[in-house]
Amino acid sequence: MATMQRPREWLPDLCRLPALTAMMVAAEIVVLLLALAPSQEGIWDFPRFYASSLFAQWLALSSALLLCKTRPLLHRLPVWLGALIAWLEPVSMAALGAYLLHEIDTGIGLHMTLPREYQAVFVGGVAALAAVISAAALRYFYVQQQWAEQVQAKADAEVRALQARIRPHFLFNSMNSIASLVRRDPETAERAIEDLADLFRAALGAGQGPASLDEEITLGERYLAIEKLRLGDRLEVEWQRDGDLPLDLQMPRLILQPLLENAIIHGVARLEHGGCIHIGLHVEAGQLLIRIGNPTPRLRGASGNSHAQASIEQRLRHHFGDAARVTIDRRDDYYECTLALPLAAAA
Amino acid sequence: MSMKVLIADDEPLARERLRDLLRDASGVQIVGEAANGREAVEMASETGADTVLLDISMPVVDGLEAARHLATLDPPPAVIFCTAYDEHALAAFEARAIDYLVKPVRAERLLQALQRAAQLSGDNVVALGREIKGEEKRRSHLCARMRGSLRLIPLEEVYYLQAEEKYTIVHHARGEDLIEESLKSLEKEFGDMFLRIHRNCLIAADELMELRRDADGQARAVLRSVDAELEVSRRSLPGLRQRVRGH
Repeated sequence: MATMQRPREWLPDLCRLPALTAMMVAAEIVVLLLALAPSQEGIWDFPRFYASSLFAQWLALSSALLLCKTRPLLHRLPVWLGALIAWLEPVSMAALGAYLLHEIDTGIGLHMTLPREYQAVFVGGVAALAAVISAAALRYFYVQQQWAEQVQAKADAEVRALQARIRPHFLFNSMNSIASLVRRDPETAERAIEDLADLFRAALGAGQGPASLDEEITLGERYLAIEKLRLGDRLEVEWQRDGDLPLDLQMPRLILQPLLENAIIHGVARLEHGGCIHIGLHVEAGQLLIRIGNPTPRLRGASGNSHAQASIEQRLRHHFGDAARVTIDRRDDYYECTLALPLAAAA
Repeated sequence: MSMKVLIADDEPLARERLRDLLRDASGVQIVGEAANGREAVEMASETGADTVLLDISMPVVDGLEAARHLATLDPPPAVIFCTAYDEHALAAFEARAIDYLVKPVRAERLLQALQRAAQLSGDNVVALGREIKGEEKRRSHLCARMRGSLRLIPLEEVYYLQAEEKYTIVHHARGEDLIEESLKSLEKEFGDMFLRIHRNCLIAADELMELRRDADGQARAVLRSVDAELEVSRRSLPGLRQRVRGH
């Protein structure tokens, strides 16, 4: 199931021209419907249509103004309470307007509304109309806002997937390794080309749909195999995986590889004698834990770059919801990144 | 006369490739292979290499910093940078490399670069090297000259720096060395890593353990990793006191 995030700004700004126009058009449509509806009184005459339109427009504009002014307050309340108040505002505005109109109408004897003894019916009827229309309008705004947010979230996730693509350095370094191997060890060169092809196939499809855990692990292994060629004895890798891993688990593509790349670029490759990358895959308390640890150089006043981690966290949250977490443990000469993915939410 | 070339790259396969390409070239003698920037600087000075093929992204000391240290050699070797991706191109030319090669390096491009290096007279290379100083980002190592060869001292291993006339004595984990830089210029480059305790002395900020007065009432700084009590001037004392209390 897709994650339902609580929309923060569910009510649009009704003081802006497009929203105002929409409100006025909607009000006019209601008047038109009422005028066209068959009734005992026969067809409406023009004066009555003008007067009704005027009243409807006045109601629409004053309700819009009221909602617009109370909007910051409404957004601070819980959604259900804010929505209830937002719904009651046009209703009470309509009841008040109808009451005043009726008083004026009967007072000056125009007789465009109902007779004096039916005041409650007139006021109640107008308020009920307003209740139905504003409920429909609020629902529409809410759905539209949610849709806009989902489009935004999807676009963000795609941009981040693009950012996760493999760095050009890696491509050219790998090409250089292969150029060297072609003369000395054609078989290894062949394997390296195959691994590289798989990696770039995945990278080019980064924005297109999720991958399974199994695919992510395989991709990580291919990546490390190429880096092992490049770094030689300086790179060691130790995998620790549980026997019952959910290999079919769907997750965003290219999550593991960028973390391994970081472990190499900011860790092992910067150490004179290299080091060992520890990769742990465990199932614990309904979560899949992916842990990547690497030694780092000990530098005075050095600060790491966790931009990649932030991007990965956002992509995971988009896919798994807020239960997905990325935690970082940075020690003096060791760096460990842990991804916690909820297993139930993905089912 | 054959050209003495040093290869510096942290990747074994990348070194192999350059070796293969250079073997096909005439008049080239490979005098050594370095696996990081520090080795490159030290080997270049020991072997008297006249050209260094320098990878930019290397551990310990990167290629750009190694080039700055190499420029202090007399005569400095010609530096040809090699890199996988050309985002460093601008910085490399600011460091006044003779040429700049992208990986995988083509044989004909490599030969062209070596020719250019051979044509440049020593004087030109010196002139190129001199222009490097100043504006670049700070170094991770200090460079000491010992009987004609260079030795790099990691800044993390420096305990304190003492002025010795125009020069500076670096006291570090592996001993002490004289470097041809003034205390003042060092303070300017690495100011946030060191504390001034006296007109002639800077100590590493994380080395200050305590302040103490000796029998004559002279304030002295006690360092963490080295058995030395260094004289503290009256002017530096208040700031240091505050720092000791803060920790």
